Amino acid sequence: MTRLSRLMPGLRAYVLLYLVFLYLPVLLIPLFSFNDGTVVAFPITGLTLQWYGQLASEDALLRSLRNSFIVAGATAVFSTMLGLFAARAYVRNRFRGQRWSEGLVMLPLVTPVIIVASAMLTLFMLIGLRPSLATVVLGHTFLTLPFAVAILKSAFEEFDPSLEEAAYDLGETVPGTFRRVTLPIVAPGIVASLLVTFTVSFDEFVLAFFLSGDRPTLPVYIWSQIRFPARLPNTLALGSLLLGFSVLLLILAEYFRRKTRRIAADAKR
Amino acid sequence: MTGRSMIELIGIEKRYHSFQALADLNLTLQEGEFFSLLGPSGCGKTTALRIIAGFLEPTAGIVRIAGQDMQGVPANRRPTNMVFQSYAIFPHLNVGDNVGFGLSRSGLSRRQRKARIEEALAMVALEGFEDRHADALSGGQRQRVALARALVMQPKVLLLDEPLSALDKKLRESMQFELRRLQQSVGINFVMVTHDQYEAMTMSDRIGVMFDGRLAQVDTPTQLYAFPANRKVAAFIGGMNFLPAQLVGEPAGRLEVMVAGLGGLDIARNQGVARHDRELVVGLRPEQLHISRDEPAGFDARAQGTVTDAAFYGETVHYHVEIAGVPEPVVVSVPNHFHTVDFKRGDRVWIAAQGASVIDLGARTDN
Ligand SMILES: Nc1ncnc2c1ncn2[C@@H]1O[C@H](COP(=O)(O)OP(=O)(O)OP(=O)(O)O)[C@@H](O)[C@H]1O
Ligand SMILES: [Mg+2]
Repeated sequence: MTRLSRLMPGLRAYVLLYLVFLYLPVLLIPLFSFNDGTVVAFPITGLTLQWYGQLASEDALLRSLRNSFIVAGATAVFSTMLGLFAARAYVRNRFRGQRWSEGLVMLPLVTPVIIVASAMLTLFMLIGLRPSLATVVLGHTFLTLPFAVAILKSAFEEFDPSLEEAAYDLGETVPGTFRRVTLPIVAPGIVASLLVTFTVSFDEFVLAFFLSGDRPTLPVYIWSQIRFPARLPNTLALGSLLLGFSVLLLILAEYFRRKTRRIAADAKR
Repeated sequence: MTGRSMIELIGIEKRYHSFQALADLNLTLQEGEFFSLLGPSGCGKTTALRIIAGFLEPTAGIVRIAGQDMQGVPANRRPTNMVFQSYAIFPHLNVGDNVGFGLSRSGLSRRQRKARIEEALAMVALEGFEDRHADALSGGQRQRVALARALVMQPKVLLLDEPLSALDKKLRESMQFELRRLQQSVGINFVMVTHDQYEAMTMSDRIGVMFDGRLAQVDTPTQLYAFPANRKVAAFIGGMNFLPAQLVGEPAGRLEVMVAGLGGLDIARNQGVARHDRELVVGLRPEQLHISRDEPAGFDARAQGTVTDAAFYGETVHYHVEIAGVPEPVVVSVPNHFHTVDFKRGDRVWIAAQGASVIDLGARTDN
């Protein structure tokens, strides 16, 4: 960093500006959520918690919140489970078509979500699946699988394969080895994966918008509210809560991800 | 050793695609034997060990343990246990749970298990370590836990993959004796893989020397040292000077040879080596050669030469001596008796040998 910044004197300023442009709008949301005027503009006329207070009595909001928890919970469980087996196979085994398979799993990261969403909607319609929370869960599982696989792959990469062999050698069965050795050691990775995939699903809008039918998730509900200027302060309050919640989950996830590393490193010592 | 065979490997072969990792491996280990597989990196030692353990299926051949064919018997049902090179201590369990890991399927009561764990920890001098967490152990302690965890299963055979290579030199040397003592007290077969010749020699009843997936020689340490089966084995175990020689005569069980530089000698015939014509190679161990400034008396052969190098090793001093008619300088090592390096580069010296220490290594073209 120091050498680079000496070579390019403007770099520090550039990075600073970049971060300001990226995060300032996001930081404005919590700021205005405490403003007691309904117009989103400076100066701030006064501080209030009334917008937050009103949220609790919004039935539609609470319903969408429940939907989001259901979807994100199911998505996290499914994609982490799939990711666990996939990651173990990718790290431990060498098989034909492995790179293709890994590439395919990672594809959702680079595919425009709108394309995925319309394709999925078409597909589900074709096979007679009506838009519902279940279809959102399917879509989100597809979308979050790359995160689960990436996190769990790094958990397995840190993990000495002879630990599993040792358990098997000591008379344990294959499922027993998985339960008594593999799972406990990658457990922090699993928690990290659950948290990240939960967060991604919880915040996801496009797929949910296309696939949720008449049961909106929280982001879809927020979008429907943005059209009403009078509702804007409430929406900002809701958005701030969502933001805080997501950041919290991701910090937790990072904590667990590092913990796997530590456990695995201990095992190697 | 009771003379019953515990492990039999018959015609074992292992291929990875077109790469032949093991070829025609035949080996019978007696009950209670401490056996080492010794060889350079990549020669197939670990592969052989994993075939015995059941982690790998041989491409061809038969593995018998205690007389039973192990075909189709997976690692978790074989009467073998393994000490892994990385020790593979379960990081989420304490020492007691690590050692007791394999007992959970044994049908023993809690009390019996506890007793077995205590007994195993006592064997490796780790009494009272049950509650210690796995990450609070030193390298040597981890190795003892790995040993206890395998021994608690009371296997017929204990397999060890380079068990000492992760330890520092001091600890390694003391563990060599401890492992040997442990093996003698439990009386089961130990099969150890190592690339360290000293480790193999100090610990083993017999050693199998491997090169490129083949067993070159199986013998006791002393036999291996005195009668290597070929030049490769001779070079791998201990230091060795190779000198060309001519076969002059073959009296009963012995050879009369003319050794380059040293002259005529009567040496023991090595049964293990091949001979085609009169061109031979003989071997001389550096520590079995004599070096002095004046012509020595009482040796079967001697030669005069010039010191080209002197190296101080602490317990020994090595001299390289150039001798007319010998292609390479001859290495002589002498014990460091008086903290002196007696000869320096350019000194004229005599080297001398007894016929009994000269090793017949067979045909020159073979090696
Ligand atoms: N899964 C595999 N696929 C292909 N080749 C392999 C595989 N496992 C081992 N080999 C090759 O087989 C040979 C023997 O390997 P092995 O691990 O038995 O060697 P080793 O004698 O234990 O060596 P080291 O002392 O380095 O541990 C090596 O050349 C290795 O590259
Ligand atoms: Mg090896």
